[in-house]
Amino acid sequence: MLRLSVNGRTTEVEVDPATPLIFVLRNDLELNGPKLGCGRAQCGACTVLVDGRAVRSCQMRAGDAVGHVVTTLEGLGTPERPHPLQAAFIAEQAAQCGYCTNGMIMQAAALLQERPASLDEATVKEVLDHNLCRCGTQPRVVRAVLRAANGRGA
Amino acid sequence: MGAEMPSRRAFLGAFAAGTAGLAIGFRWQEAAGQAAPAPVTPMLRSNPRLDSWVRITPDGRIVVLTGRVELGQGVLTAMRQIAAEELDVAPERIELISGDTAQTANEGVTAGSQSIRFGGEALGVACADARATLLGVAATQWSMERAALGVRDGVIEGLGGRRMTYAEAASHVSLVRPVDTTARRKPPMAATLIGTSMPRTDIPAKVFGRQVFIHDMRPEGLLFGAVARPPGYAAKLVSLDMDWARGLPGVVAVVRDGSFLGVVARREEQANDAARKIVAAARWQDGAALFGGKTAFDHLLTAPAETRTIHTTEAGPAGARSHRAEYRRGFQAHASIGASCALARWDDGRLTVWSHTQGPFPLRGDLARGLRMQPDAIRVIHAQGSGCYGHNGADDVALDAALLARAVPGKPVRVHWTHEEEMVWEPWGSAMVVRLEAGLGADGGLASWAHDVWSFPHSTRPGGSSGCNLRSAWYLENPVPPPRATDGALPNGAAARNAVPIYAVPGQKVTTHFHAEMPVRTSALRTLGGYFNVVAAEMFMDECAALAGQDPVAYRLRHLRDPRLVAVLQRAVALSGWQPRPVTLGRGRAQGTELVGTGVGLSKYKNSDSHVAVVARVAVDVGSGAVRVQRMWAATEAGRAVNPDGIANQIEGGMVQSASWTLMEEGRWDGRRMTSEDYHAYPIIGFGQVPAIESVLIDRPDLPALGVGEGSQGPTGAAIANAILDATGRHVPEVPFTPERVLAALRA
Repeated sequence: MLRLSVNGRTTEVEVDPATPLIFVLRNDLELNGPKLGCGRAQCGACTVLVDGRAVRSCQMRAGDAVGHVVTTLEGLGTPERPHPLQAAFIAEQAAQCGYCTNGMIMQAAALLQERPASLDEATVKEVLDHNLCRCGTQPRVVRAVLRAANGRGA
Repeated sequence: MGAEMPSRRAFLGAFAAGTAGLAIGFRWQEAAGQAAPAPVTPMLRSNPRLDSWVRITPDGRIVVLTGRVELGQGVLTAMRQIAAEELDVAPERIELISGDTAQTANEGVTAGSQSIRFGGEALGVACADARATLLGVAATQWSMERAALGVRDGVIEGLGGRRMTYAEAASHVSLVRPVDTTARRKPPMAATLIGTSMPRTDIPAKVFGRQVFIHDMRPEGLLFGAVARPPGYAAKLVSLDMDWARGLPGVVAVVRDGSFLGVVARREEQANDAARKIVAAARWQDGAALFGGKTAFDHLLTAPAETRTIHTTEAGPAGARSHRAEYRRGFQAHASIGASCALARWDDGRLTVWSHTQGPFPLRGDLARGLRMQPDAIRVIHAQGSGCYGHNGADDVALDAALLARAVPGKPVRVHWTHEEEMVWEPWGSAMVVRLEAGLGADGGLASWAHDVWSFPHSTRPGGSSGCNLRSAWYLENPVPPPRATDGALPNGAAARNAVPIYAVPGQKVTTHFHAEMPVRTSALRTLGGYFNVVAAEMFMDECAALAGQDPVAYRLRHLRDPRLVAVLQRAVALSGWQPRPVTLGRGRAQGTELVGTGVGLSKYKNSDSHVAVVARVAVDVGSGAVRVQRMWAATEAGRAVNPDGIANQIEGGMVQSASWTLMEEGRWDGRRMTSEDYHAYPIIGFGQVPAIESVLIDRPDLPALGVGEGSQGPTGAAIANAILDATGRHVPEVPFTPERVLAALRA
């Protein structure tokens, strides 16, 4: 039995501690935010925040999340109270298929927490360089992150 | 996109501000002009029933149906705009049903940039017919001229404050009948929704982590399936200890049917682990080596092929000299971020499949043949997946899910391929060789043009009348092999897509050398052969311009007769600040340790759809040969724009994807199978390499909407290629333009 703190709630899950966190989040806790992409930490679609740091949940054992605070896309904000990044992604229409969107937002959320000031385009591109988008929305994603950073979420 | 219209933000803002009191009231007499009657769209000929497009329910719901499916291209937002426009209802009131074999029209596959042009037109006509019919009911009841009536958000309004809801009007007339194809759509001048950048309706759910994708569907009792793939495409299963396999953790069922082998397990990771262990424990027999050990290009040029000259024009005077060149492209992958996924459930011999296929009806047909059952016992329902960019594993995984779910009747089984599985087992975009030969007149003008293309198939999709194009069917005990692959015919072509020149040249000749047999399975990758034919022809065009000593833009303009292509070319060139100059073969343009150049690419997709011109500026590192795209500019004209921001997203996204194809992407294989199985072995473009992009849309509301989703890949690759030629003065004939290839050209 693992006690996990996810999106402000503590849940007990009956699962092998070696199970990759992504499967526990998606299939046991029924969260849609983190997406299973490459399963090799190369694409970033599965990114979640663990104690505020961006982590690839396909590579983290669920057992290692015990005692830490996990936040997924669902825990970031809601339509009623969106996180500035969520509002900015809508305002910039920064998606096509949207499969990578979770990773883009979660990686950027960690960045905004770490370095809220002096965020420029080069920094955003550097931090997101290992988050892949196949539809080619990178320019829109950069605009959305800068929009959120400048406090112009919506 | 902007310049030729209010800014994108202004559009979004205007829409958001206007939503509450949306100006959806409209009277025919306000129309400034009538649109010319369009020919009946083929989608209405094959799906003539009005109620397969629009239904008004007695309780007032407005249900709109489309056979087109959302692939991340925003098509359902555009369809909602079109329906709301023609029906005069608020877009959010419409219930939109898409891609369900039990409900919607059969529109074949959502592919080839045809949704808006054909599916949107059909939907628009059907909705216009419904509106006119309902208006007619009110006009008769109130004894008023139809022209005196208006509609505001689904309520018909007449003189003296008379009102009638659509539901009430619909209760007096049957909408279960064929579409009246003479129904007139609103004149473009009167449109209030079409032509605006209405925000995508699916993006909020995607940024808040709501259930959107099949991958997120979790019906009661869900089980997980995984396929244990052979070690190579031609390998056969010899034996497996089934009892051992059934005892693996979490395993509910092991399915073996010939060389098809898979498991159903209680948990997703258990299914994946069991499949991996079964692959390793099973005994397999290898098949023959791929390509007999040759390169794919050698195979294409030397193995027997079907050679056909498919296009010729009358010859003019012979040229004073000739130029010929060869260009090559290796295999390229769809490389979707999320691997293919399907959910299947069997109930009393009937099968329901949720799939992110591009064609629910074609998939149903191939499922029926693969499973040896009747199509009407199968229902395919579209649900979104990761972007596919053509025929990836989406259809195949649906059969996998059906085969595995058959072992656990009544239980839903979800199969989500691994990324490695997708890369190795999906159909790849074909390797291609293009040879061009032109005669040049004494004045440098083109006197003849011959385009030869060697290629494997570009469409082996489901949807034929025999055989099965779902991969696992080939491995069954009683295999259902694929039908023999064919090449798509002109005008739109497949291997020869965009091989017919857009330039006015006498003596044109296009010849295909088609390989129906494919050691590496190939199928539709966004644009089919269009991307590489445009890249090759436009590179060749710059080489001819260089031989003529002329500026590449001026050289194109002298050979262009299509004013729409002239318009986008001039617009992109102006946007980029193009400096006219001839390309100098054999001499680079040095700036420090880099060579810097600018190139242009132009195309009319499929010779029938969007007109796109792209200019690219690149820097080439002299020491490493690495190419960096610094900036790209584009101009697009695709007739009437339904959603300008949606077009911008498609065009600009296509430019990024094409930059990735052009500079980085090439599949590798060993004797057994493709080995480019992850993003290290098959890298795609990252944020660091994505250049700044500036693009403009030339809206032509006076002209029919043209397909746009595949418009920018060809000209983008061509612009990058020509910028490399301009920077280095060297011919680099093989895509992708890797540092090694560019360096080799520099040192040649």
